[in-house]
Amino acid sequence: MRFNGFTYLISEGFSNVFKNKKGTVISLITMICAMFMFGAAFAIGQNVNHVMEQVQASQGIEVFILDDATDEQTNTLEAEIKKIDGVSTVTYKSKEQALESAKEAFKEYPDAIAGYTEEYIFPASFIVMLTDLSKAEGVESTIATLENVKNIRSSNDTMNTLLKISNGIRIAIIVVFAGLLVIAMTIISNTIKLTVHARRKEISIMKYVGATNSFIRGPFLVEGIIIGFVAACITIALVTIAYDYVVAGIEASDILQTMNITLLHYSEILKMVSVVYVILGIGIGMFGSAFSMKKYLEV
Amino acid sequence: MIEFKNVTKVYTTGTEAVHDATFSIDKGEFAFLVGSSGSGKSTLIKLILKEEEANSGNIIINGKDITYLKPKRVPYLRRSMGVVFQDFRLLPDKTVYENVAFAMYIVKSTPKHIRRRVPDVLAQVGLTEKAKMYPNELSGGEQQRVALARALVNNPSMIIADEPTGNLDPDTAWDIMNLLTDINARGTTVVMATHAKDIVNTMKKRVIQINKGIIVRDDKKGGYNSEV
Repeated sequence: MRFNGFTYLISEGFSNVFKNKKGTVISLITMICAMFMFGAAFAIGQNVNHVMEQVQASQGIEVFILDDATDEQTNTLEAEIKKIDGVSTVTYKSKEQALESAKEAFKEYPDAIAGYTEEYIFPASFIVMLTDLSKAEGVESTIATLENVKNIRSSNDTMNTLLKISNGIRIAIIVVFAGLLVIAMTIISNTIKLTVHARRKEISIMKYVGATNSFIRGPFLVEGIIIGFVAACITIALVTIAYDYVVAGIEASDILQTMNITLLHYSEILKMVSVVYVILGIGIGMFGSAFSMKKYLEV
Repeated sequence: MIEFKNVTKVYTTGTEAVHDATFSIDKGEFAFLVGSSGSGKSTLIKLILKEEEANSGNIIINGKDITYLKPKRVPYLRRSMGVVFQDFRLLPDKTVYENVAFAMYIVKSTPKHIRRRVPDVLAQVGLTEKAKMYPNELSGGEQQRVALARALVNNPSMIIADEPTGNLDPDTAWDIMNLLTDINARGTTVVMATHAKDIVNTMKKRVIQINKGIIVRDDKKGGYNSEV
């Protein structure tokens, strides 16, 4: 008996989808448009995070060690720096390495460091990488208080600017995200309202024959879920095509290559995007039809 | 079976559609509700169907006070009654058979039961031949017979008919009346709101007359007396 009800629900839901072609197409298109914009905002957000992580990872603080520090003092300093909150890695750069990297940096202008290549005049240092760019200032001031530190070189301004940009972009994306969600819900709920309105006669007949509200709502929910699911699948396909195309275009640009920054490959966000879409599609379809039906169930 | 105790219904617009109505219709009775347009007949029907809430008084159906019935229980109340309307209210995209079977789906009957029961009811209203046709291929009288079959299919204890002959020519109207008489003879209570003077006068059944919301007459074997 229950099974019969279930089959009725599913088959009726499916036949509604095809019976009401115009409504289905309108719902599908609005959902796909909204979810596509949604996906664009999501993809941009994920990439901004990804890029920021890469930029942050490349931002280190260089701590120069006093020339007369003993090996033991150097080791102590390293241990102390590692203890500071916000420090991810500490790499020792010896005088030899400092010279090598100087040579490497000036290899096209050997004359510039001509006189400096015989002795190790570049001080040894620690390259300190941070877990979080926002902790840079705290880490720096703590290091400054330690012994055997000659001086510190950091790119404070760059860090602050990056931090501001990334926070700004994140907030903008959240706002866009919320706005799109509201717009999508409104459009879809209105579309489904039209569908339900077109079938108000059928609904009122069902009420008079003694159908429960959940029985009446069932096929409409199934219909909403089917439309939502199909819309999600189509959007995933569209976003896949668009994403690869756009990312290929951006990655080809010089700036990113110079900065050695990569964008996320689609496969890295596909799983997330798909899950979000399917939940979103089904959710919007389901709640959209549930909300828009409310009025017509009060017979 | 149906009992109204001092029922008053005032719409939010301020119109008092039913004032202090008290009457009762017993099991197996055939009762006409008569009155001119706007007299409150339709409101009485709506109160029985629990489509409208009474402002005061009590309505008892099948021994149960439905005055304060929870909205969730309303569908189960309606399953105990078959409803027929003036405008038939059939689903246009379903065949005659499907329209009748639909009422059984809704109460979650088994497919086996549906396959047995629907042809029986269609035979009872004389529509066996038209089972596969759609409502727009049928005459008004035939459509009303489909509506009657739908009302009957779940074996309700009563049939509530709101001007069932209103859209039909006299001959066809009598077909429907004969069917209702037949249904009543099998023990089902019939309550019918109507304008049709000749039908009421000929049938000699109980007549409850309502005028401006007040029950003005309740005759065991009356006629339609529009003068009151």
